Amino acid sequence: MKQLTRAEKHLYRKFDKIREREESGANAKRKKSSRAVAKFFSNRLAIVGLVIFSVIFLACVFAPLITKYQAETVDLRNILKAPSGIHWFGTDKVGRDVFSRVLYGGRYSILIASLGALGGAVIGVLLGSYAGYKGGWFDKVFMRIGEALTSFPTMILNLLFVTIMGRSMRNLIIIFTITGWVGIFRLARATMLSIREEEYVQALHAFGLNDAIICFKHMLPNALAPIIVNITINMASMILEEAALSFLGLGVPMQIPTWGNILNASQDMYTLEKAWWMWAPVGTTITLFVMSINFIGDGIRDMTDTSVQG
Amino acid sequence: MGKYVLKRFLTFIPMTLLMSFLIYGGLELVPGDILNTMFPPDILAQMSPAELDVIRASYGLDQPFIVRYFRWLFRVFQGDWGKSMASGVPVKDVIAQRLPITLELALTGLVISAILGSVLGILAALHKGEVIDMILTAIGVVGQAIPQFFFGMVAILIFALKLKWLPIGGRTTPQMTHWYEHLRYLILPAMVLGLTQTSSVMRYARSSMLESMNRDFVKTARSKGIPEWKVNLVHGFRVTMTPVIILIAFRLPALISTSMVIENVFSWPGIGMTFKDAVTAQNYPMVMMIALIIVVMVMLMSLLMDIFTRIIDPRVRLQ
Repeated sequence: MKQLTRAEKHLYRKFDKIREREESGANAKRKKSSRAVAKFFSNRLAIVGLVIFSVIFLACVFAPLITKYQAETVDLRNILKAPSGIHWFGTDKVGRDVFSRVLYGGRYSILIASLGALGGAVIGVLLGSYAGYKGGWFDKVFMRIGEALTSFPTMILNLLFVTIMGRSMRNLIIIFTITGWVGIFRLARATMLSIREEEYVQALHAFGLNDAIICFKHMLPNALAPIIVNITINMASMILEEAALSFLGLGVPMQIPTWGNILNASQDMYTLEKAWWMWAPVGTTITLFVMSINFIGDGIRDMTDTSVQG
Repeated sequence: MGKYVLKRFLTFIPMTLLMSFLIYGGLELVPGDILNTMFPPDILAQMSPAELDVIRASYGLDQPFIVRYFRWLFRVFQGDWGKSMASGVPVKDVIAQRLPITLELALTGLVISAILGSVLGILAALHKGEVIDMILTAIGVVGQAIPQFFFGMVAILIFALKLKWLPIGGRTTPQMTHWYEHLRYLILPAMVLGLTQTSSVMRYARSSMLESMNRDFVKTARSKGIPEWKVNLVHGFRVTMTPVIILIAFRLPALISTSMVIENVFSWPGIGMTFKDAVTAQNYPMVMMIALIIVVMVMLMSLLMDIFTRIIDPRVRLQ
């Protein structure tokens, strides 16, 4: 018998396993959804992303259980203390515990980004489905508006809206909603356009089903995966945008400790050189969090990719 | 070709007008009376409603919105861009002075990211699945997630404060005698800007190169016995570069806006810092014109790129 290479042996083992499963009837029992989950977990980076995301997210949500300090408590006897067992990330210029500020700040930053991304998704899906399904002037008008919005560089657009609406957390969420719907609008619209003429849709029409049900229940699920991936991309970029806006002093008002505002407070050269713990942990947390969201997005993309094996 | 240029240009004009309308109309929505920002409150309190109406009429503020918009547009075309509400200096002069300073930073950053991004991307594509590809991909992943200003702060800490190789910020010193002394100020912000942009160029170049390496004409070239490096460079690279050049060119106007954050980290006195200050001070004429200029640049760039791709890529012309 011919000598098998390692890769071939590996392949044969895999085939054997699959045959075993088939013969024992285990495959038939496996649900369809678990296939998608298996695909997600076959992407190692997606698992890493999910772990990092969960750790940061849960730590922020359960911040009061993890740290005994409040984000706002000023302690003038302990200012600019280096990291230690008492203050894990040290303290800032007025003695506030940096670790608890990172956790409580994460609550606001994550809230702003996720509400902005979800708001954009809801508007994008509603408008996009309708525009793709119906077409006509409605479609044309919103395509133009979308095109106009995407012609603006993101930061310029954000700052224009900040000028118009003023600085507040609520306004920032609205701004992210307004700037974030275009991508999802195009996705939903394109899906609707491509399957509008499918036979199953026409059959539903013939049954006399109402347009909204056909549109959202029967057609939209085809676009669900790319929409979710787009939401993750939006959320990641909104975390970065919030941080950048607040860093410039034009995002969330200073008294709310978002990640961007914590970095904003450490711009001076003294802090930069002598008190690295005031800004390095926040910056690293933002980087890790955004990275983990991107990994999860890639994992979700794999879930629906037919070329990926679960 | 001429017909195409004309057609493309005819869509450019209404789009630009739409953008100017959106910017003007958007700032019209700002709550509050514009006179409050033009006069100190004590002077305003002394004036009678009739006097205020006269002032309004003298600025044309009594006219309906659409009339004011077209008047404003007309003035912009005539070259009257209004005055900065903070300093009284004409907006045009401020932009003419600050835009080149930003372009200097943005173009240097663009060149760095273009060269580094395409070289590393092609390198990763040629070594697909090997260690070097994995390391570059990992760096790219981190590069996409790191906030630019955080990267800038780390760079200042290492190269300016600890190693003391480069200045921490600013653009010039009063006693500067040679132009090249100025380069020392450019290096750090341009590197930070360039490197943060490199990761996406790299990703793009890598996938573009991988795609073109599987094309029939590359296989043909290889089967003709052309040396491997020549196949990669001459045949693969050329096709790879089309989308990469488009990406890079599109980047330039966007880079001006991304450089806004970098400019603030390094106190680089460009248009980004001016824009941020204008937004902070609610200096509307300035905000309006800078936004308009940048948007027009974006649209002009996409116009030029569409024409350019038709010239260099014969496949687009056939469609």
